[in-house]
Amino acid sequence: MAYLSMGESHRRITDYLNRFADAINYQDGDSLARLFSVSSDSPSLLSLADALNVFQDANRLIKQSEKFSQFGEVVAPFFRSLQCYRLGNLVDAYGAFEKASNAFIQEFRNWESGWALEALYVIAYEIRVLAERADRELASNGKSPEKLKGAGSFLMKVFGVLAGSCDLQGKGPKRVGALYVTCQLFKIYFKLGTVNLCRSVIRSIETARIFDFEEFPIRDKVTYMYYTGRLEVLNENFPAADQKLSYALTHCCLSKEANIRMILKYLIPVKLSIGILPKKQLLENYDLVEYNNIVEALKRGDLRLLRSALQENEDQFLRSGVYLVLEKLELQVYQRLLKKIYIIQKQKDPSKAHQVKLEVIVKALKWLEIEMDLDEVECIVAILIYKNLMKGYFAHKSKVVVLSKQDPFPKLNGKPVAS
Amino acid sequence: MMNQGVNAQTVAAADPNSLESRYAINASQGQAQSYLPSAPGSEAASWTVHKVEGYLSQDGVPANASYQHVQQPEPHTQNVQDGSYVAPLSSSSSTGTASAPQDYNSYTSYSNTTDPYSAYSGYYNGYQQQTNNQYSQQQPNPSYSQPVEAYQNTGAAYQPNSSFQNTGSYAGTASYSTTYYNPGNYQTSGGYPSSGYNNQPTAWNNGSYANYTSYQYPNYTSDTSSAYSSVSAPATYQQQYKQWPEYYSQTEVTCAPGTEHLSAASNSNHGSSLPTVSGGYPTPTNQIQPQSLPPPPPLPPPSLTPTWRPETSSSELPSMQPGGAASGAHDNYWNQPAPSFQTHLAAPTQPIYQNSLDSKTSYENFQELKTAPQGLNSQYPVVHQVSQNYQSTLPTVPSFDARRVSKLQIPTNPRIASNAALGIAKTEKDSYAANSAPRPAYISVSVQKPNDKMSPNNAADPMLKPTMLPKSLRGYVERAFGRYKDDDAKRAACEAYMKDIITEARADGTLYTRDWDSEPLFTVPDSLSISKANIQTPTHASIPNYNKSPVRRSKSRWEPLAEEKMLEKPVSASNEIGKYGSWDRKTFSGYSATKDNSLSSFRFSGPQQRTPSKSAQRPMKRQRIVNGTGLTNNDDDASSDSDKEQSLTAYYSGAMALANNPEEKKRRESRSKRFDRGQGHRPDINYFKPKNAGPANLYTRRASALMLSKSFDDSANQAVEDIDWDALTVKGTCQEIEKRFLRLTSAPDPSTVRPEDVLEKALLMVQNSQKNYLYKCDQLKSIRQDITVQRIRNQLTVKVYETHARLAMEVGDLAEYNQCQSQLQILYSEGIEGCLMEFAAYNLLCVILHSNNKKDLLTSMSRLTPEAKEDDAVKHALAVRAAVTSGNYVTFFRLYKSAPNLNTCLMDLYVEKMRYKAAVCMSKSYRPTVPISYIAQILGFSNAADENGETELSGLDECLEWLKAHGASLITDNTGEMQLDAKASSSTLYMPEPEDAVAHGDSSLAVNDFLARTT
Repeated sequence: MAYLSMGESHRRITDYLNRFADAINYQDGDSLARLFSVSSDSPSLLSLADALNVFQDANRLIKQSEKFSQFGEVVAPFFRSLQCYRLGNLVDAYGAFEKASNAFIQEFRNWESGWALEALYVIAYEIRVLAERADRELASNGKSPEKLKGAGSFLMKVFGVLAGSCDLQGKGPKRVGALYVTCQLFKIYFKLGTVNLCRSVIRSIETARIFDFEEFPIRDKVTYMYYTGRLEVLNENFPAADQKLSYALTHCCLSKEANIRMILKYLIPVKLSIGILPKKQLLENYDLVEYNNIVEALKRGDLRLLRSALQENEDQFLRSGVYLVLEKLELQVYQRLLKKIYIIQKQKDPSKAHQVKLEVIVKALKWLEIEMDLDEVECIVAILIYKNLMKGYFAHKSKVVVLSKQDPFPKLNGKPVAS
Repeated sequence: MMNQGVNAQTVAAADPNSLESRYAINASQGQAQSYLPSAPGSEAASWTVHKVEGYLSQDGVPANASYQHVQQPEPHTQNVQDGSYVAPLSSSSSTGTASAPQDYNSYTSYSNTTDPYSAYSGYYNGYQQQTNNQYSQQQPNPSYSQPVEAYQNTGAAYQPNSSFQNTGSYAGTASYSTTYYNPGNYQTSGGYPSSGYNNQPTAWNNGSYANYTSYQYPNYTSDTSSAYSSVSAPATYQQQYKQWPEYYSQTEVTCAPGTEHLSAASNSNHGSSLPTVSGGYPTPTNQIQPQSLPPPPPLPPPSLTPTWRPETSSSELPSMQPGGAASGAHDNYWNQPAPSFQTHLAAPTQPIYQNSLDSKTSYENFQELKTAPQGLNSQYPVVHQVSQNYQSTLPTVPSFDARRVSKLQIPTNPRIASNAALGIAKTEKDSYAANSAPRPAYISVSVQKPNDKMSPNNAADPMLKPTMLPKSLRGYVERAFGRYKDDDAKRAACEAYMKDIITEARADGTLYTRDWDSEPLFTVPDSLSISKANIQTPTHASIPNYNKSPVRRSKSRWEPLAEEKMLEKPVSASNEIGKYGSWDRKTFSGYSATKDNSLSSFRFSGPQQRTPSKSAQRPMKRQRIVNGTGLTNNDDDASSDSDKEQSLTAYYSGAMALANNPEEKKRRESRSKRFDRGQGHRPDINYFKPKNAGPANLYTRRASALMLSKSFDDSANQAVEDIDWDALTVKGTCQEIEKRFLRLTSAPDPSTVRPEDVLEKALLMVQNSQKNYLYKCDQLKSIRQDITVQRIRNQLTVKVYETHARLAMEVGDLAEYNQCQSQLQILYSEGIEGCLMEFAAYNLLCVILHSNNKKDLLTSMSRLTPEAKEDDAVKHALAVRAAVTSGNYVTFFRLYKSAPNLNTCLMDLYVEKMRYKAAVCMSKSYRPTVPISYIAQILGFSNAADENGETELSGLDECLEWLKAHGASLITDNTGEMQLDAKASSSTLYMPEPEDAVAHGDSSLAVNDFLARTT
């Protein structure tokens, strides 16, 4: 960047400052937002960063004029952040950005209307992204990554500002920004693995009177439902998870395929556990082929296929947190297997179809190359009956499953397997 | 004889009740008397008014006076903080009364000055005659009030003044002083009801001051001795002494001694937790208690009282005249320093007297003080009185005088002079006695010089005492000191640190915003204290500058531009005083402001009115000043103040000129160097730190030595978490293999810590021991402790933790197991080899079976490496997990039987739950019956199936027992085999309350069992 002249640098910096001042004076939230988006790598910001690196004394420029100096507390650290960002020093970039954000929040607090919400969104986003990158840098240097945590507490403060503005002014115009910040917080907490921290934010969003969920921007609602749905998946509360994720799916913009895929990633296992299978087309459309075999296993009652599918994608499922959910599908596979046996028996001899001998089941499993002895299969059958996946009883003496003549294999129909 | 007489009087005074009652009497008498004699008509009238008020509030007044003395800094601060100026004002009447008592005191003191020196016996007699009891008690009170005034005056210099001003009563007193200085100001401030009073009183005070000064000289010697002897006060005393010397040398000012006394008193107050010395005292003591300065406080108050008493007694009759004389003397001092000196010199004979007395008293005081510090209230009064009688009579008076003098000095300039002129003749007479006393004082002064260094301490002390501290901060300070009640050295360090914190907070501007209630208490490890001291030094260094500025002011006040030589000497003295004042300013913004005002004489009103609002603002200024702008800044500050107050600017300019005087500069530099030297050394820290620590250099040194030697014991006082283990890493020397576990409450003693090789033996011993788990656990914990303390992190560490974890698992001690497990995970992650897989499996099992946290389980599972998944133990654990999540009891119990390592032990803890689940499941899905034998086999009851038939039977029986215990319905079929009636049982199964439930989940660890096993 050596070719950059001082004059040009000066011009760029002054230009930015003018834009900044204008954005605030005209209450142009969108323009202001653009001026803050460090990580967007927009050409204008990159050139500004270069200019800053050439023209080292930007602070003097800020102080020079009354017009700029009133934003000095925001702009000065922001410039530093931009410089560091350009130079690849992400840890310092984050630190400076947080400082600038802090100053901005102080200003924001005093603005009565919510015109700057867009800028606030960008700041909330940038602070998270910069923190993530800074943490990566820290981790690669062998230091303990702690910036994301710091970003979490900073955003919590921002949330407080947004929620607080409502307390004072009744239905304040800024409250609608709370959900965006909440979603950024979710992202941080999920990334940090401290999902239990979500609870307090959720509580205030769902119980505070100042928040009317329908008022929030749709994109935030979708994001919010996605994350809360994921939390329900972790809690294995499938009906709730289904409801939230379905909301997210139906409201998610169809053009955002990546987002839809993310939602489906959790919604499909949830739907599977309540007995609803996806069409193959869906899985293929959204590149969720890892579920293909699982769905297939459920359809066929192929325990072996299920186990191999789980094995195959174990890491992925463990990371996304659906492994335990998918694992529980085993019982449904057993159910399907028994149902098949029952159907075959019925075709052979309808009068005795409701009596399934344990040996038959063991033999069927053997064909699937799954070695289980009588006791184990007996236990599985007992559990199936106990969990109401099968109607009937087991006669220990004769080792026979006696199925109910009416609907021996009730469908889940959207209800989860009894615990 | 004199001493005895004094004692008797003091004893009489000792009775609080009598004292109080007398108080009233005395006050009335004293006031009336003093008024009449000293004051011209108008003054007398005003006095009477005061007296009336004082009478009404007599009790309150003494209390106030005492408050002022003892609490001065703190109470004031409180008031300021509370913004309860109103309260003070309301009490102003009381304060007025207080002031009246003060006046009395001054009177008494006057009389004392005249009489006492010449003949203590006379004083005593006079006391006795008038009202022995009253005198002793009342006089003390008056003396208190006087001291208060003195405080105020000095306060300008010292912190106490500010405090005085703050309190309503103080305000009254302040007004007095102010009036002395600038009556006009007074009036302005004058919102004070007692403004008129004040003016007159001021006059009185002046007179009294003069007397005091004369007294002070004698006192000086006594003070010094007392100071030395005195436990906590010494440091302050010393400082004062130093100052005094200067004063003396330069200005005959007995005031210096008085100041010393005052400071001592204040110190004592702080230190002493004595609740109520005498009726009047009680309040002070109470205040003192809050300050939480344990030892010294009691003494000082007493000393004050005694001195007062003598003075009062003498003063009562003569006081009137003496007052006038005193005022004259003061005036002389101020106006005509040289003459006053002469007069003082003239009275050598008395000094001797005093000296002897003083020395005696000092001894006694020492002893008494020592006892007193312990905090026996009962003792205090008596002791104090006695000691006070001896010492205090002289010393206390001086202290008052000193304060007054300092104050007076400031005020004296304009108006006092006039007053002085009036009283001069009389004062001279009185002063003779006083003079005699003064000489000794001079002598003592030389001794005191070392104390000059101490002056910073005093200054520092104000920081802590400061009236300006927020309540919460005061609480914080109290808590901090409370921890070191028994350890002077610690307390000293603590105080120093405290000051640091406060200055810091002030610098940050967080003094009022910080949440002191939740502020963690600092620890005062000796090592830390040093660093703290170092930190503090800068501030101290800056202090001198401050002091200087005040000094200048004092000079200016003195006689603006007149007689430089004369001034110079006084200046030096004043400088020290000024330092105090400056400190006050710094520490208590509001107060300091008031002090400044008082100094300038214009601000009197300021304190009450301004303090609350200004205090907040001022800290900044002061800090700035402190930070080094130094003299000039101070001057500016002062000047600005003066601007507000208008008239003194001229004085200031004069002061400035003085300040800029090269000689002055040199002197200041040398002085500041002295401070620096002091600061450089550890013992010096003590100087700076505590008022309480106040003790003489010897004491401080000893204290510092104690600090060093005691560091170990001291650490016991700290929270374990606060211990800096890095600094305390030890190398063990203990060769004992066996060692019981004791939670460390202090830094580890190397002689009780085993080195690594011994620890290895100990581990082996434990592993091979046949004793029970409790013994092993105890031993292992002690091994772990020794390892931690020595920061050993190697395979031995891993082995110890693994051993303990296994043992804990065997007995189901999950709590201990979890501790070990978490440590092991850290150790493994550090790359130390161990049974990683085994414990990974344990960890999995633990999460699966005992925490049931899906998120944790997922993370634990996702962290498993492919190799780990091939490990038998881990595989087993994963299989168990699968069995549990699917509720497959058959698999579970098969895995239970085939568990590697100690997986069984962890599964054991889940068996009951699993069996119950299985029973419920079976009773629902089986029809009509399930044979018990099958259940026993499936649910792991027949765990001895591969052994002989007997055990199998026992497994069956066990199963039967278990089923019965859980409400199962059993029947016998036609073949005689026991069957579970599934349908019947499905509604009757329940989870029984474990009969042997123990809080820690293992009945084998029940208390009874524990006792039985350990014996």
